[in-house]
Amino acid sequence: MNNELSTFNSEKVTNKLRSILSEHKGMVLDESILSKIDVICGNIEAELKKEGIETAMLFKDAEQSKKLKNFEERRQQERRKNDNITDVIGIGLCLLDKELKIIWANKTICNWLDLKESPIGSCCHDIYHCSEVGTKNCPAMNVFQGGSGRIIETWITTKEKRRMCVQHVATPITDERGDINNVLMLTIDATESEKIVHRLLLLQKLGEAMQGTLHLDKLLHLILTCVTSGYAFGFNRAMLFLINKEHDVLNGKLAVGPSSPEEANQIWQDISSKYTSLKDILDELDHSYNIDTPFNTMTKLMVFSLSDGREVVASCVRKKKPIIVKDAANDPRVTEEFRNTLGANQFVCVPLITKDEPKGVIVADNIYTGEPITEDLVNTLTMFAGQAALAIENAETYKRLADKMNQLTETQHKLIRSEKLAIIGSMASHVAHEIRNPLVNIGGFAKSLSRFKFTDQKIKANIDIILDEVKRLEIILNNITDFSKPPIPEKINVQICEIMENTCTLMENYLQERYVNLYKEFEPDIPQVLTDPTQIKQVFLNILMNAVESMPNGGDLTVKITTVNKSIKIDIIDTGKGMTKDALKNIFEPFFTTKPHGTGVGMAVSLKIIEDHGGNINAESEWGKGTTMSLTLPTN
Amino acid sequence: MTTILLVEDDKNQRLLYEQELRLEGYEIVTAADGKEGLGKVQEQPPDMIIMDINIPKMNGIETMGMILSKYKNIPIIINTAYSSYKDNFMSWAADAYIVKSSDLTELKNKIKEILTKKAKDLKQRQPH
Repeated sequence: MNNELSTFNSEKVTNKLRSILSEHKGMVLDESILSKIDVICGNIEAELKKEGIETAMLFKDAEQSKKLKNFEERRQQERRKNDNITDVIGIGLCLLDKELKIIWANKTICNWLDLKESPIGSCCHDIYHCSEVGTKNCPAMNVFQGGSGRIIETWITTKEKRRMCVQHVATPITDERGDINNVLMLTIDATESEKIVHRLLLLQKLGEAMQGTLHLDKLLHLILTCVTSGYAFGFNRAMLFLINKEHDVLNGKLAVGPSSPEEANQIWQDISSKYTSLKDILDELDHSYNIDTPFNTMTKLMVFSLSDGREVVASCVRKKKPIIVKDAANDPRVTEEFRNTLGANQFVCVPLITKDEPKGVIVADNIYTGEPITEDLVNTLTMFAGQAALAIENAETYKRLADKMNQLTETQHKLIRSEKLAIIGSMASHVAHEIRNPLVNIGGFAKSLSRFKFTDQKIKANIDIILDEVKRLEIILNNITDFSKPPIPEKINVQICEIMENTCTLMENYLQERYVNLYKEFEPDIPQVLTDPTQIKQVFLNILMNAVESMPNGGDLTVKITTVNKSIKIDIIDTGKGMTKDALKNIFEPFFTTKPHGTGVGMAVSLKIIEDHGGNINAESEWGKGTTMSLTLPTN
Repeated sequence: MTTILLVEDDKNQRLLYEQELRLEGYEIVTAADGKEGLGKVQEQPPDMIIMDINIPKMNGIETMGMILSKYKNIPIIINTAYSSYKDNFMSWAADAYIVKSSDLTELKNKIKEILTKKAKDLKQRQPH
């Protein structure tokens, strides 16, 4: 058998074995490849038997023709030839007998296992350093017993000091009776497939990290960090472009990576000393980091038309296929502009695609290390880009949802406020009516009393107090009823500056009394607006009064009128006490007041009026520093 | 002497207006609700009517409608605690709309103004 085996091989069979192996190079070994190997082994067996017969015939022939010597030479020749073939087939072969002793091995396995001397005669576990010997997991034993056996993933260091991941597969060799006399151990290089498994695991990890991020900016940063991290894809730099459907362009969104070789060294040193795994980096990802780099700024300014599509990134998106540019200087797909901006001669564009729809593109390069971009890496990157695109879509959807939610919340707040106003309004109106009648009586009779002559001056003085108090209550009632039912505005085209001027004139004396300096900054050519001048004047008066009251010891009051985006902006700035955050939050709430004698409707009424005019009031205040009230009124 | 009918459900307020308007030299007839007011008008039509809108037994506006349909020449002043009725178009039919106040000056001025106008109108209509 021994002799026959050394002559079994036929070039046909081994070539087939090689072609299958090369076909599956870099892939995870699966059942199909194993079954193929099985078939080949079947063929080898068949060849073996045939060779056996031929040899026997040769012997016969030789005896007959007494050309034994010639035959022996021929046999030796045949053997060398076959040895050469088994040695170069790129698969480790080792034949074991029933005692698990090695009876033959090819050179490949000797080299891979870095054997110093011939393994023939040794036990299999001596050369494989297998820990399964004697256990029920021993693949060779299993095969001898009619089962199957293999050892997945063993790391070895070859004679050439290469780290290699191998799989051992035991295959039975049967004689013509079908008995298993030998086991052929196939040792297959699985380093590439192992690498791919590693990448798939990485992809899974990155995918998980991405799916957990719904904030778009953070997500983009995370994606590019994955592309550039040494623990993941390890590119030097990466840029991300997203499609803007409205304008049919690709917009530069973010770029991660150093802007110069010096910076690159610095960053990589920092990272390797700080982090030990990708997870570390992702966990510690500071989303403001790298944002101010020239590379990022440059990327954000980049816009490429999609309809034009000449640009390599645009065609990448259109074709939905990754593009590896190996020599940008001589590649017709790359425009000079892009080449100059990027500055790298070799780079890769990978499209971001979800549901067959392109979302954008990632561009990555190794400008500083000059490491070539392999197709393998690009394939993995493409898979990653698919996940990234999905995550981006999720984040975008989430953002749209969040925007809608914000809108809804705002509308709800407005609704609640107007509902509140309505309830308060009707209540206030009722209470006001109920109070007004007795008040009329108190005040009215007090007045009629005051017409009498009193000898005691005190009586007259007390009556006057009653009258004053009644008047004060009536003013409050008027405020409340005005608030509960603000009149429909009667709008005419007016000049806001004039209304403000009038209001200021009205307050001139009051301002002087309080030592308040008034500064007016009106932009020239403020357009007229359709407003109810009486109501607007009431609002101005209200806010100016509040401002003055916040400056009991005097101060500066600035009134600015400017045009901003089709609306008029009126800023009323004081240097008064300012408001606490709590007060600021509530100033537009009806009946909220910080003043001892305030009714708390002034700002609520003011806001209602301005809103009726399609405008808005914004209040900013800092406790102890002052308050700025900004009113906007649309001009059309 | 000018007679003014005052329709007001608040007893003290009726007393207040009576006192104050008498001092102005008017003859005051009072009614506590719309129904009574209408009766008083039918009994002896006054020169002017002052009424609250929110009076019991026939809402003020309803009473006003009835009076206006029969006695077109009697001026009516609505004197009420509600400013909201101002928007009710029926109240436009009134000659004046005054929001109640302890200060009766506005009411008194309005009465004078309307009476002067009425006298002038009458004069114009009378043949010389």
